Amino acid sequence: MTTTSERTQAPAHAVARRKTSWNTVLRVVLLLIAAALTLGPVLWTLSTSLRSPSESFKLPPSFFPWNPDFTSYAQVFQQLDMVILVLNSALVTGLIAVGQMVSAAMAGYAFANLKFRGRGALFSIVLATMMVPVQVTIVPVFMLIRGMGLSDTLLALILPAIPTAFGTFLMRQYFLGLPADLAEAAAIDGASPWRTFRSVYAPLAVPGMAIVGILAFNFHWNEFFRPLIMTISEKNFTLPLGLVSLQGNMGTGSISVVLAGVVLSMIPALVVFIFGQRALQAGLTAGTGK
Amino acid sequence: MTGATNGRLREISRRTALGALGVGIVGATVASWPRLSGTDIPGRGDNSLSIAIMGTAADAAARQRAIDAFTRLHPEIRIKVQAIQAVDWKDFFTKILTMVAAGTPPDVVYVATEGAQLFADKLAHPLDEYLRRDAADMAEYFDDVHPSLVEAFMYKGSLYQLPMDWNAANMYYNTTAFRQAGLDRPADDWTHLDFRNSLVAMRKARPADFTPYYWTNRLFGGVVPWLYANETSFLKETRSTGGDWLWDGFYAKDPSRSLRSGGYQWLEPNADDPRVFESFDYLRGLVKDGLGVRPEEGGGNSLVGLFASNRIGTTPAGGYWVQGLHEAGMKENDFDVQFFPKWKSQRHQFGTAGYAIMKTAKDKDAAWEWIKFSASREAMELIFPNPVTTPARRSMVNEQLYTGKGPAHWKVFYDTLDKYPTTGPIPAPPQQAAVETALMKNVSLAVSGDERQLKEALGSMQRDLELALRRQS
Amino acid sequence: MSTTTRHRAEPAGKVAPPAAHAKAGRHSQPWLAWLFLAPTILGMGMFTLLPIVASVVLAFFRWDIISAPTFVGFDNFAEVVQDPTVRVSFVNTLVFVVVAVALQMGLALGLAIMVQEKLPAWLRTFFRSAFFFPLILSAASVSIFMRYLFNEQFGVVNWLLSLVGIPAVPWLTTSGGSAAVVILVYVWQNFGFSFLLFVGGLASIPVETYEAASLDGATGWRKHLHVTLPLLSPTTLLASVMAIISALQVFDQPYVLTRGGPGDSTRTAVMVIFESAFQRLEFGQASAIGVILTLIIMAITAAQFRLSKRFVFYQ
Repeated sequence: MTTTSERTQAPAHAVARRKTSWNTVLRVVLLLIAAALTLGPVLWTLSTSLRSPSESFKLPPSFFPWNPDFTSYAQVFQQLDMVILVLNSALVTGLIAVGQMVSAAMAGYAFANLKFRGRGALFSIVLATMMVPVQVTIVPVFMLIRGMGLSDTLLALILPAIPTAFGTFLMRQYFLGLPADLAEAAAIDGASPWRTFRSVYAPLAVPGMAIVGILAFNFHWNEFFRPLIMTISEKNFTLPLGLVSLQGNMGTGSISVVLAGVVLSMIPALVVFIFGQRALQAGLTAGTGK
Repeated sequence: MTGATNGRLREISRRTALGALGVGIVGATVASWPRLSGTDIPGRGDNSLSIAIMGTAADAAARQRAIDAFTRLHPEIRIKVQAIQAVDWKDFFTKILTMVAAGTPPDVVYVATEGAQLFADKLAHPLDEYLRRDAADMAEYFDDVHPSLVEAFMYKGSLYQLPMDWNAANMYYNTTAFRQAGLDRPADDWTHLDFRNSLVAMRKARPADFTPYYWTNRLFGGVVPWLYANETSFLKETRSTGGDWLWDGFYAKDPSRSLRSGGYQWLEPNADDPRVFESFDYLRGLVKDGLGVRPEEGGGNSLVGLFASNRIGTTPAGGYWVQGLHEAGMKENDFDVQFFPKWKSQRHQFGTAGYAIMKTAKDKDAAWEWIKFSASREAMELIFPNPVTTPARRSMVNEQLYTGKGPAHWKVFYDTLDKYPTTGPIPAPPQQAAVETALMKNVSLAVSGDERQLKEALGSMQRDLELALRRQS
Repeated sequence: MSTTTRHRAEPAGKVAPPAAHAKAGRHSQPWLAWLFLAPTILGMGMFTLLPIVASVVLAFFRWDIISAPTFVGFDNFAEVVQDPTVRVSFVNTLVFVVVAVALQMGLALGLAIMVQEKLPAWLRTFFRSAFFFPLILSAASVSIFMRYLFNEQFGVVNWLLSLVGIPAVPWLTTSGGSAAVVILVYVWQNFGFSFLLFVGGLASIPVETYEAASLDGATGWRKHLHVTLPLLSPTTLLASVMAIISALQVFDQPYVLTRGGPGDSTRTAVMVIFESAFQRLEFGQASAIGVILTLIIMAITAAQFRLSKRFVFYQ
């Protein structure tokens, strides 16, 4: 921030400098408070999951696990088939992510770079579907799935989630951001429109597709409502459903076990967070260009 | 120059990587197809007898020994237990209804009192013909099971389930908290006023960081035990006629024979009863004076931890709680149990559960064989090795089940039925979900304000219940 | 293509103005476009549009899944409109949206401005990551642990308040308290989304704009009021549209935290849809509520875009 060389500047300036640096201190303090409020509950969850059940309600609370006790984690594995839950969640979210990346890239490209009648109207309809709550359509979707013979399968979770309005919107923005002369150059080289997409645009769109994929992963990994309705067998449960059932009927669940489950479910999302944070932040801000 | 080459190289390797990724994804999808389409779930789509229970894989596995024993007895019947995870019974019934809607209903469902009439009314097949046929075999079971439990599964003169396990709302107390407050074990017939005095004593002994009476807002163990003890309820309770075939057949000599009927009926709301007001007002007083908590809706998830860490003096619960407290580190003398306090009477509230045969079951005879087997002492001992619930058979609620875990006065559990034969089930008409919502949503407001707010809450409860009972399902 | 203005910080996602692109799409091979659109359009047709139509049709029937549906005309709508629980849930939803979105946007904007001003790079990264973090958690698990934190007797929140002498707040057991908790938990988890949108928006405001403003004598908050806010208005529109659409559909938080209670104080519109469909098996009524809710969402969004024509300032 302020360096010694700046301090030797003219007095009038120095006053201004000092003022900004006080501002900076205040700003950082406010930001630190906000960060503490944001991360505090998560730290508490982590440290409480590492305490024995009888200690879990000790006050003052501890936010750091000094003497970790892993029995609650063992309990989680005893009560839940974590392997199948993680496998299901991974399959569902993975395939949704891939499906969304491909379908959104194609649709986004069409909306951005191809001309056809009714383009604007169709795009508006696609966007408008974002406004319909999933609870409104879940019953007909459920009957449709039944008609397809897919009741209580993972496919019942995957197929309806592949078409994505937000992903299409993002990809359209992304393609609009790519230079237009690429297409012209390709056309001059005699490339067919399909080749232009496959060889020129699609490779360039990979970062955009990654954003769509990460967003899809983040959303569907944590999804609660659709799995609540669409899956019945425990074998088809995804993580969030398994977790809620850890709470136990009639208060027989133990807080540290529940929280251990919560922490375990955070791990994959955390990995994505660490590696995909950049892309995800980029993705979320991409739409704001205009 | 090098830049361009690099670019092309990168381009090529990127394309290769993408291609590999694509192949990988397709491969993974194909490999996991059985998982995606659910065809790897054993017994799916075949003609084995499918049994839905509420619980986790661990609960299903706990039944494996019972299933093995059953298979030795009936090698021709194949059993498939589906554990269905749910937060509470309402959630579980939602799942079963979803299965019905999906066209894949189970053949047999483990249903608790909360859903007994919903199933009896719409989904289940009565057991009457089987009980008449196998009366000789079943006499031993009914001898060992209290008729109050059986009556809870009577609906309009027919029996739909055999009770397997049950729990009454007794009063658990923390012995350390009692000792600190200078209190002895309460008398069997302590009254609601005695109860209040013990809470006051505990509050005095530990002014902070402690709750003398913790309770939750649920159909079981919430406000209802206080209504039952005051000889009232939030629904008008009537009985239907019939069922004499069962009572005369199996309970002719039971001292409470004259009390038995063709089943409970809850047809009218009763929240405007002055005694309902009286019970709520008592609880409101506990909350106001800091003796009891304001109950959280659907709460109780943290109850075991709170109780085990000595932060709670008393709370209503049944035999199902023992194992949980044991696992949370409570020693057998750290807690004990006593009957629910007396008011006008000492009528308790209980909930029970058992298997129901679905109307849509393909092989009802096989389903009955499973139920009959599950009611045997042999099967029950395999299914309930630990006190995670109270077995319906009196002879199994014994020393052996509670040794080393407590409570010292475990006899209270079954004595609740034997000493207070009017003890009644959780009120749950076929419109259970709507009725439960109508009750629960008004409880917190009723007990946490002034008298006017209480009257308003009861008024709105009465209206909500009326609406709920008018509904079709 | 990309603008040559100096940026105050590298924009997180480089998106050039679409204007430069207007002439790009000149391949007139409609069949190709339809081929590209096929997966999305067919999928949406099947799993969104068709179900919407089915839902509207279902709203005119009484159906409990077990027995055959019967046509009841407008009965479902009439019953739903008169049902006090449904009415309260709609009011709750609207109040929730107004308060939660205002909090979320205000918090996000304030923090974004503070983060984007001069700050060491590592600190900026830390804050961005911290505010973003709750977004990756599931609303269900967040609600699970928040429920413990807000417990009246034993929760950490009341313990913290007791340190500064505030008596225990009955968070989850009073109407006001539980509404506050649902809002706080929702905002806690979602403000990061708006925050990132604002960070992106701020990064694309050219430094010259501020320099010019400084020359005119604008400083501190005046600078933000007169320069930042107008230039951010496109971002604000996008952020608020998205925040409102998702807040109108809030389900997980109240479902896990309060189950809609006490009373109906935290029952939201989509919760009522869920309850009447899957707990009471009144699929016709559930559909009727859904149709009304969807119409309201559409009306609100349309109103926002109409208003935006007047208030949004495009560079």
